[in-house]
Amino acid sequence: MRILLTGGAGSGKSEFAESLALAQARPLSYIAAMKPYGEESERRIARHRGLRAGKGFATIERYADMDSLILPTGGTALLECLCNLTANEMFDDAGAERDAGHNNDAVFEKIVRGQDALAAQCSCLIQVTNEVGRDAASYGDGTLRYIQLLGRINRALAARADAVYELVCGIPIQLKGTVV
Amino acid sequence: MILVVGGAGAGKREYVRNLGWDESSIADGVIDDRPVIINLQDAVFNYRPESPEAADALLESLANKAIVVCDEVGGGIIPLERRDREARDACGRLCCRMAQRAEKVVRVVCGLPIIIKGEYP
Repeated sequence: MRILLTGGAGSGKSEFAESLALAQARPLSYIAAMKPYGEESERRIARHRGLRAGKGFATIERYADMDSLILPTGGTALLECLCNLTANEMFDDAGAERDAGHNNDAVFEKIVRGQDALAAQCSCLIQVTNEVGRDAASYGDGTLRYIQLLGRINRALAARADAVYELVCGIPIQLKGTVV
Repeated sequence: MILVVGGAGAGKREYVRNLGWDESSIADGVIDDRPVIINLQDAVFNYRPESPEAADALLESLANKAIVVCDEVGGGIIPLERRDREARDACGRLCCRMAQRAEKVVRVVCGLPIIIKGEYP
């Protein structure tokens, strides 16, 4: 089973994702895609670790290359989040786009293939993503391409998912399917 | 308490007026004695929480409101300024906490009130 969760910052995605995971097959893996890059992200990571503490998740820090990640067979994996994974795959550490042609098709295919590879090893894969396209600010070309790429990834993953939820104020709004 | 959320310009204020609240009852971006607050996000951003949890301090002063209206500010690209990121997260978390306590949560989309917690009307 594949479940995609979306929603804005602070909308309660992580908590809902964990509650879904706890009802699924063991073992539980948490795939953290956020690179620690300073005090603020360390604090975010610490907060997420605190939320998960004592719930039985094994944390795997993996910032890219999901297509080669080996998971325990038949368990549940929670990946957080696709916005970090996409940024890590699309930009190098200096913030430059890896694809000099700015086409990003290869990044799209790599990420979707990576998610398929994770799903093939689990009985339940829960993916957390984000609504990066929902503001009216103007951005540079690289950021605009990132918004388009993540939107494209979200669409592809939603099409593959058995259930899709949007979190609003901590309330899950069902957009597709149901979780059994 | 009724929590009303939605994007900017979605029709939240009109929804509140249609419930029978007049301007004298409505505080705009400030937490005072009036029973309705709109633009709660302005109060949170002005409060400048230093962590996502810090805005929980506002929870008690909002508990007795009849209606709390807040823009959904969590969408879009992560803001460049740290204090904007913190306030955006805090605003979302505060709304999650309020939604747990609220008897009704309404999300206004294109002027349509969608009840996401509680009963119609």
